[in-house]
Amino acid sequence: MIYKLILSVDKYLSFPVAKAHCDIPCGIYDPAPAQIDALTVVRMMDLMAALEQGEEKGKLEYHNTLSRYITVKEEHAEKAKHEIRVIWGDYIKDTHLEKYPELPGLVHKIMQLGSKSRQTSDREHGLAFIDAINQFAEVFWATKNVKIKKAKAPYAPGLEMVYPDL
Amino acid sequence: MVKIIKVTGESLSPFFLPGDYVLIGKCSYLFGPVSKGDIVVFTHPSYGLMIKEVDKINAELQQIHVKGSHPFSVESAQIGPIPTADILGKVVWHFKNLNRTN
Repeated sequence: MIYKLILSVDKYLSFPVAKAHCDIPCGIYDPAPAQIDALTVVRMMDLMAALEQGEEKGKLEYHNTLSRYITVKEEHAEKAKHEIRVIWGDYIKDTHLEKYPELPGLVHKIMQLGSKSRQTSDREHGLAFIDAINQFAEVFWATKNVKIKKAKAPYAPGLEMVYPDL
Repeated sequence: MVKIIKVTGESLSPFFLPGDYVLIGKCSYLFGPVSKGDIVVFTHPSYGLMIKEVDKINAELQQIHVKGSHPFSVESAQIGPIPTADILGKVVWHFKNLNRTN
């Protein structure tokens, strides 16, 4: 009874959420989600640019579609940053830092490029974002002694990505 | 003085499950001081708002150490000490999710 009442109030007031997770050592880390998120950012930039050239420009549908592209770009840039932060905070150890001293600078660069990709629609920033995340993926797989291969993503924007060669 | 917070995550299972709500109180005059075994809600610099069980209290440093009850939950070392100033309150009432099976 009280639970149902709280549930109903929550729908309107949205009570703060306290996490009891974030500390289960599942050991599952993979830069792939960040890479896909970064690809999505560039894809949205491309769709935005194409929309700008289209005949719908200025119409209501144009604004609606553009807003949706921007929203997805925002979300995925932030998700990519989040995924990298999780690996950085939970997986990377001191021994990795000793072996790959470039990592702190690289992670910082990813954070900045992620923000740039949100702030602008400049494809160059999106490409640099992907490039930095691919470099991170290369180091990540090296820490696991997993070979990598470079191949073009089989979907637009079809950019070259770093994959584990399993 | 009191707040309702929604719980997400499994680390306090089986006692607290995702979808549960808790009423937290800050006033130690009414609810007593935070002590070992209490469930507290606090802000963590990396993880945000968290709910955990108090494992140890360091009164001198005004810090607490926390833990989860789930067997796979990592010890407090990973979360680090929590300054008492970051505690929003301790759980004084627990509203269980009606859809839970236990």
